[in-house]
Amino acid sequence: MQESSPDARNRLIAAMERLAGGDRAALEVVYRLTNVKLFGICLRILHDRKEAEDALQDVYITLWRNAARYDAKRASPIAWLATFARNRAVDRLRTGKVRRGAVPVEAAKELPDGDPAADAMLIDAERTARVHTCLDHLDEPQRSAIRTAFLDGYTYAELAERSDVPLGTMKSWIRRGLARLRECMERGE
Amino acid sequence: MSADDHNGPEMTGPELEGDERLAAEYAMGLLEGEELLATRGRMANEPAFAGLVARWEQQLMPLLDDVADAAPSPEVWERIASEFEQTAGEDSPVVILQRRVTLWQRIAAGSAVAAVAALALLFVPIANTVDDRPAPASDAPPLVASIPIADTPLRIGVTFLPDRDDMLVAADGLTTDGVHDHELWLVPPGEGAQVQSLGVVAPGTQKRVHLDAGLAQSMRDGAQILLSREPLGGAPDKSAPGPVVAEGTLQKT
Repeated sequence: MQESSPDARNRLIAAMERLAGGDRAALEVVYRLTNVKLFGICLRILHDRKEAEDALQDVYITLWRNAARYDAKRASPIAWLATFARNRAVDRLRTGKVRRGAVPVEAAKELPDGDPAADAMLIDAERTARVHTCLDHLDEPQRSAIRTAFLDGYTYAELAERSDVPLGTMKSWIRRGLARLRECMERGE
Repeated sequence: MSADDHNGPEMTGPELEGDERLAAEYAMGLLEGEELLATRGRMANEPAFAGLVARWEQQLMPLLDDVADAAPSPEVWERIASEFEQTAGEDSPVVILQRRVTLWQRIAAGSAVAAVAALALLFVPIANTVDDRPAPASDAPPLVASIPIADTPLRIGVTFLPDRDDMLVAADGLTTDGVHDHELWLVPPGEGAQVQSLGVVAPGTQKRVHLDAGLAQSMRDGAQILLSREPLGGAPDKSAPGPVVAEGTLQKT
């Protein structure tokens, strides 16, 4: 059942507001609308289903205490939740609670079995966002380095090792890429 | 230069530097170790810096739509529901806080003796030099609370230095509307604790305040901090805050 995206988006915003206001039942609504997207993000970063499921549990429990920080005027709810989940997952890596799975799991390519709503919400709001265009304007290897750092949560050291370049070179690539990214974003604002 | 030119601007162009660099790397999750800790401290204390991070986060957010969806096991919701169930008695922090403040306002309103010890807070402006000072050479880590201001990317940073009983309040990004002041309040831990004023926040400044021993102890215990909107000059009744516009909790760094 494909909902039109404004409906799904508004339902999610309404559920976030109820959650922020202390309505505990709203958590399940938020979960149903977003778990497939947020689990995809946790899995991408943690490379392990079990770790990703633990992270997902932590994300929604923590969300209960943080929902009030979401401001519908500043960000789409799914983008905010995606960032929230990403940051929690990256935190788990950085604080050493988790060892990243050594092998990227194919499971990350699984199709969702359920709610398409989150995806529908993203298409309208985010696919056309300027950051995509700006990132595409970067040359390799800067583009891949920035994408991998953000989407996979790698550290500079891990990125350097994966690309087989010195740490300083990787830092330079990313910092130059970020400088150009910012310049491009500012032109578009 | 063309995008195909491998001696193009990305190989030779300027690197992102200074606070922009730190903010972007913080938002990307690239910082580690001491740099990460120091930057977390700045997030709490410097609204302007927190604003830079928020901007990067917001700009990078849409990249996450490239991540493939994946369905967790159905048990995950059951685990969440069951963990959530255990917190059933506990409302969200915001609700608890609102309730506590309402209760206290009611008590204060009903009390004929509103002469709750006026806290003589000495506000000593220390210009913008807070961060130039060496970190306290002590093993007691500072506690920080970062208080987002509704509808803005700004934050008020409250840092408490346990070994000095000093509180630093950074309100660099705050501006005045000319008819209201903002006032900070401390909600000590524990049921029925009385809200205590920490003084009016001066917009656009960083200040250091020395706290008395009782307040300092509450800060050490990880108190909650409220920001209320008040008439100019602060709450007329120093024992009861006006509308609460933001809140934060002191946490160990």
